[in-house]
Amino acid sequence: MSSIRADQVGGRIVDNTTEVPGTRAPLVLNMTTFGQVTAQVAKVSEAGRAPLAWYVAFAGSLGLLGLLGVCVLYLIFTGVGVWGLNTPVAWAYDITNFVFWVGIGHAGTLISAILFLFRQKWRTGINRFAEAMTIFAVMCAGIFPGIHVGRVWVVYWLFPLPNQMEMWPQFRSPLLWDVFAVGTYFTVSLLFWYTGLIPDLATLRDRAKGRLQQVAYGLFALGWRGSNRHWHRYERAYLLLAALSTPLVLSVHSVVSFDFAVSQLPGWHTTIFPPYFVAGAIFSGFAMVVTLAVPAREMFGLKNLITLRHLDNMNKVILVTGSMVGYAYSMEFFIAWYSGALYEKFAFVNRAFGQYWWAYLLMVSCNVITPQLFWFKAIRTSIPLMFFLSLVVNVGMWFERFVIIVSSLANDFLPSSWEFFTPTWVDIGTMAGAFGLFFTLFLLFCRFLPMIAMAEVKMVMPAANAHHDEDGHHHGTPAPATGGPS
Amino acid sequence: MSSIHVAKPDLSEGNVRLGTAGLGVQQGAGLVGIIGLVASAVIGFGGMFGTTPTFLMKSWTQNYMFVLAISLGALFFVFIQHLTRAGWSTTIRRPAELIAANLKWAWVGLIPFAALWFSGGSHVEGSDAAHSNWGPGVLFPWADLEALKAHHPAEHDIVAAKSAYLNATFFWIRAIIYVTFWGVVSTWFLRTSIAQDATGDIRLTEKMQKWSGPIAIGFGLTITFAAFDWIMSLSPAWFSTMFGVYFFCGCCTCGFSVLIIAVLRLQSFGRLKQVVNREHYQDMGKLLFAFGMIFWAYIGFSQYMLIWYANIPEETGWFLGRQIGGWGTLSFVLLFGHFVVPFVALISKWTKRLSWYLLAAAIWMLFFGWFDLYWLIMPEVPADAMTAKTYMEVVEAHADASTHIFNPLNFTMLAGVGGIYLWMTIRRMRGSTLLAIRDPRLHEGLSFENQ
Repeated sequence: MSSIRADQVGGRIVDNTTEVPGTRAPLVLNMTTFGQVTAQVAKVSEAGRAPLAWYVAFAGSLGLLGLLGVCVLYLIFTGVGVWGLNTPVAWAYDITNFVFWVGIGHAGTLISAILFLFRQKWRTGINRFAEAMTIFAVMCAGIFPGIHVGRVWVVYWLFPLPNQMEMWPQFRSPLLWDVFAVGTYFTVSLLFWYTGLIPDLATLRDRAKGRLQQVAYGLFALGWRGSNRHWHRYERAYLLLAALSTPLVLSVHSVVSFDFAVSQLPGWHTTIFPPYFVAGAIFSGFAMVVTLAVPAREMFGLKNLITLRHLDNMNKVILVTGSMVGYAYSMEFFIAWYSGALYEKFAFVNRAFGQYWWAYLLMVSCNVITPQLFWFKAIRTSIPLMFFLSLVVNVGMWFERFVIIVSSLANDFLPSSWEFFTPTWVDIGTMAGAFGLFFTLFLLFCRFLPMIAMAEVKMVMPAANAHHDEDGHHHGTPAPATGGPS
Repeated sequence: MSSIHVAKPDLSEGNVRLGTAGLGVQQGAGLVGIIGLVASAVIGFGGMFGTTPTFLMKSWTQNYMFVLAISLGALFFVFIQHLTRAGWSTTIRRPAELIAANLKWAWVGLIPFAALWFSGGSHVEGSDAAHSNWGPGVLFPWADLEALKAHHPAEHDIVAAKSAYLNATFFWIRAIIYVTFWGVVSTWFLRTSIAQDATGDIRLTEKMQKWSGPIAIGFGLTITFAAFDWIMSLSPAWFSTMFGVYFFCGCCTCGFSVLIIAVLRLQSFGRLKQVVNREHYQDMGKLLFAFGMIFWAYIGFSQYMLIWYANIPEETGWFLGRQIGGWGTLSFVLLFGHFVVPFVALISKWTKRLSWYLLAAAIWMLFFGWFDLYWLIMPEVPADAMTAKTYMEVVEAHADASTHIFNPLNFTMLAGVGGIYLWMTIRRMRGSTLLAIRDPRLHEGLSFENQ
């Protein structure tokens, strides 16, 4: 769009969160040429040493990853009895973590696919690492169905592979649909992410000084030369992948919600689950993007590329999706009463006032009430507050899954079989360990791959517009409030 | 990225005002509307073609919901553009504002409901003919619990437990809140936007952006509960948490279709030339495709699949009523007409950029928006749905259930309500500019290009 301008006020980062109608606030600050963008982004992976904070974070993450390894091995060698599961709570932390991580994995594809189709240009600053985050989150999610089956050595039975026993998975079970849904999502997200990476990998290859880097980046750049033909095909592929990924954003968490909603268990069986889970997933995913973006832009000096405007916009998405989640909570509660179904009513009263009332309170206050603070621009644009609130949302969304799963199971139809679920150290260790895996992968990504989609960011800079600078004095002067393009 | 350059957009009166051009259509629509309403009254009150008071009232409800959905969809379009600070849509936002502004008269549609309460048709104790008497129970079974108890005792106990929500007083308080909110908000958007035509004040844009957030919340809640009150409560024992979202999809189908039709028809009158082009057609087509069709199918499928899978009698009865007799066929017509066929027809880029093709697709979708409401409102949950032992038992007992889809009342009522609505819309369009000529982002709408 011709009206995107770069405000350069003498090397100072200007406030680009306000936008006079008729003009578009700049998305890249303090930059005029494409070369500057390349230099700044490539510098991170070209530097001999990472910032000290990176090493500290990496050490911590590796420690947690080790804990994950210990917990998983202990589980495999001993059996699922090491978890706090009981009758009737046969699903608890494992599935909670699974749904939590799949949810986190939603923001990346939403940003890269849906926001792309909606022509939201600000997505270019954050899409690369949001997509990376998606892939790592889905990896974390994948662990849990794998290990919770108990006998992990037959985990391939999840797939419909013909075998000599002629045993097939239950095709009518949403658990099997999950295998397909998550598998497809992971594959397409990875392809999408990789396709976007190719031009940037070629840039790193061309700039690399060492032989190892040249070979490594060169191998994955697939011989990209940046010719017109390459770009043309790249853009077609990107558009097609965006169109293919868009339904996946909806389908994955819809299928995850089917795991619960197809049952007859009060609190699980409700028709709003699919869109409600999707909204919740985007909500938690964006919160995680903010959680990661705030320190990452600080650590690697990318504040002019991931600007306050990007964060402001993400906080708005958190507000919208958080309100949708609040809408779903209210509908569930209202219809539980309206249905007149005794068990349904009990399930919801029990959620709010039963033995898990504290988890429910945490869920509502973290997911519905505190995000409402984002109505205020001062809070949306305050770095410490948004960081804190994004953590609050992460906690809230973990507890949402816990509340849904555990409270409905623990107090089912027969009071004589009611139980209380208490996690063991293995439960907690596995949950914490998954964060270790996630952050380890993410930190490696930040260090060795271009964290910002250089090629895409350049497309939203004024210099990418053919009509840019026609009159030679377009910088810094606001476009007229009315009238045609320059 | 290149951009189309409109050297000098034609903002002359002749291009942005309808003037007398639409007068013939307006008068014709008004005439059709009056004839349609009169004919509906004659057929409905006279009991011709086997119509009952319930059928007449349901027909009114369906068509009222239809025009309401059109304007609500247009209202959604307007505030979502402000919420996202969209530039592309500035050239087509005014027609949407005008269509939404019809909501000022949404309260008129409630008069027949009110008339039911004033018709003095309170249930006569012991009367077997409760359903042929007038009274609120004719349309809303929960409003006549005595009759419900006499005819559907199983349902009565469930419905009686809901009377804290489903009672006449609260029903009317809510109805007044909905229509007031819609009327105020849509009128405010139109007035503010028109005020900007004169002054070009960008603060008006900022104001509309700022209020769009709270309006979105109010919109979401009012359409949800309106859908519960005016559609879901027609089968008062049934419930679905998804229902409000389903109605929202219907609003998108109807509203976006009418927006496309309105813009293309205005162009065929020689208005909005140059300022609306193929890029806008494509984007409007995309919105209809995504929200009015795919999202509808997603929500409809999720709702159906979850209820079918869990197979709880309290919930399945509602769908059973839509699968017995002729309704089974209609359900398939809805599935193919509202989703499968238009999905194939509109998925390609070029189809959305051809005006005649897009117009045909929008008319098709609008019809199925109406048809969807017929499917939602007309069927009855079979009385034996909760007591029968098997599915086939119900199906066989109701094998001859008629859908009445070809009953003349359906057509006269559509002509009546639709005609009056069209008359009102064109009248409003003739009294206003058709383009937000001084919107600060107009230049973006004039010059954007799809990839």
